[in-house]
Amino acid sequence: MGVLRAIRARPADVAADLSDPIGELLRRAGRGDQSAFAELYDALSPLVYGVVLKVVRDPSQAEEVAQEVFVELWRLAARFDGTKGSAKTWAATLAHRRAIDRVRSEQASRVRQDRDANQTIRNERDVVAAEVESSFDQVRVRRALLQLSELQREAVELAYFGGHTYREVAVLLNVAEGTVKSRIRDGMIRLRDELGGES
Amino acid sequence: MTDIDVHHLAAAYALDALDDRERTAFEAHYGSCEVCRTDVLEFRQTLTQVADSLVAPPPLSLKAKVMAEVATTRQLSPLVAPVVALDERRRARSLMSMAAAAAAIVLIVVGVVSFRGDDESDTFAADLARVLEQPDSQVLSLANQGDAEGTFKVAWSNTLGEAVLIGEDLPTTPDDKAYELWLITPDSSTAMYVLDPAEDGNVHHTLKAPADPSAWAITVEPAEGSATATGDIIFVSNV
Repeated sequence: MGVLRAIRARPADVAADLSDPIGELLRRAGRGDQSAFAELYDALSPLVYGVVLKVVRDPSQAEEVAQEVFVELWRLAARFDGTKGSAKTWAATLAHRRAIDRVRSEQASRVRQDRDANQTIRNERDVVAAEVESSFDQVRVRRALLQLSELQREAVELAYFGGHTYREVAVLLNVAEGTVKSRIRDGMIRLRDELGGES
Repeated sequence: MTDIDVHHLAAAYALDALDDRERTAFEAHYGSCEVCRTDVLEFRQTLTQVADSLVAPPPLSLKAKVMAEVATTRQLSPLVAPVVALDERRRARSLMSMAAAAAAIVLIVVGVVSFRGDDESDTFAADLARVLEQPDSQVLSLANQGDAEGTFKVAWSNTLGEAVLIGEDLPTTPDDKAYELWLITPDSSTAMYVLDPAEDGNVHHTLKAPADPSAWAITVEPAEGSATATGDIIFVSNV
């Protein structure tokens, strides 16, 4: 779309277009534009699929959940509100939420099924450690996570990557729920300060 | 649950690390709390960067599946902008609802509109917290029937005799129609509540609940209310 033409048509959207091109694709999708949605898919699918895969682990389930996420983005596109965060943040939030929903419905609780908390932690640590830090983003995020205290980092990782509630994290780490709650909060504040807010 | 506790849940909420009850309680709270809204947004932006480190190529087949489903999936309409004139209509409707409910000799008569200012939303959050604090509290998401849009969740406590209803992303009903809540009890009697979503498509409603509901259901009825359901059940869940 030519920017000048668009300025005459919808100045508000153009401002958004310049700052959030993915948001502009989502707005167009919200008006029923399937080709804009296809572009949106290309831009966001590695992120959505990556988040979902990290949480649900199983590739075929991850594909199903990622499909649900995109169909939901399509259904809700007209209600996208750029003042409540970027389109990318919306997609990442929705992807994580749906992945969590899948994990929690598939396994009523991994904590209850796996009482060997230490083993679970060790396995999840290995998964994290085994990841190849192949990209700039990965290095940056790993470095930021390493600024957290060990308990903060474990709590945040078990929640976000492992899909556990903070109560489950408390059981897994064998610390009080109140402690986990505050470590999660402190850890997220630290992470926000390390990474900055905007993506 | 104190306010301090609720504020401190923003990080866990952004991480999806709350259980259903706490998530519901936090969602009722943070809409009216500037501090928590800002916290949640910032934490989500931070987590988007974490998400960026997780990118993985999706299977090539996924795009075709998504686009095929999108081609046959109806989109939700944009949320309607607030219209001041609605207030008057809502008040009128609430009186009519109450009259209709009384006339219907239904067990419990409540016809209240959910016109909702910040004060009311704080009250609702307090109501919700009170219900969820009860050891016997239960939370249900009503199941959408057919292609009904939006969500309804209900939380209640038999010992407290109260229920809170949360409807979200609801399409606006035509002027002469309204959502109605049906509470089905073991002796088959039903109680009726007329629900009128606020302009943002949300319903936040505190109800006096009779003992032991066996099911909750939602239909669309004439705006003045019906004594017995005439519309299709669009949301329902058995307890």
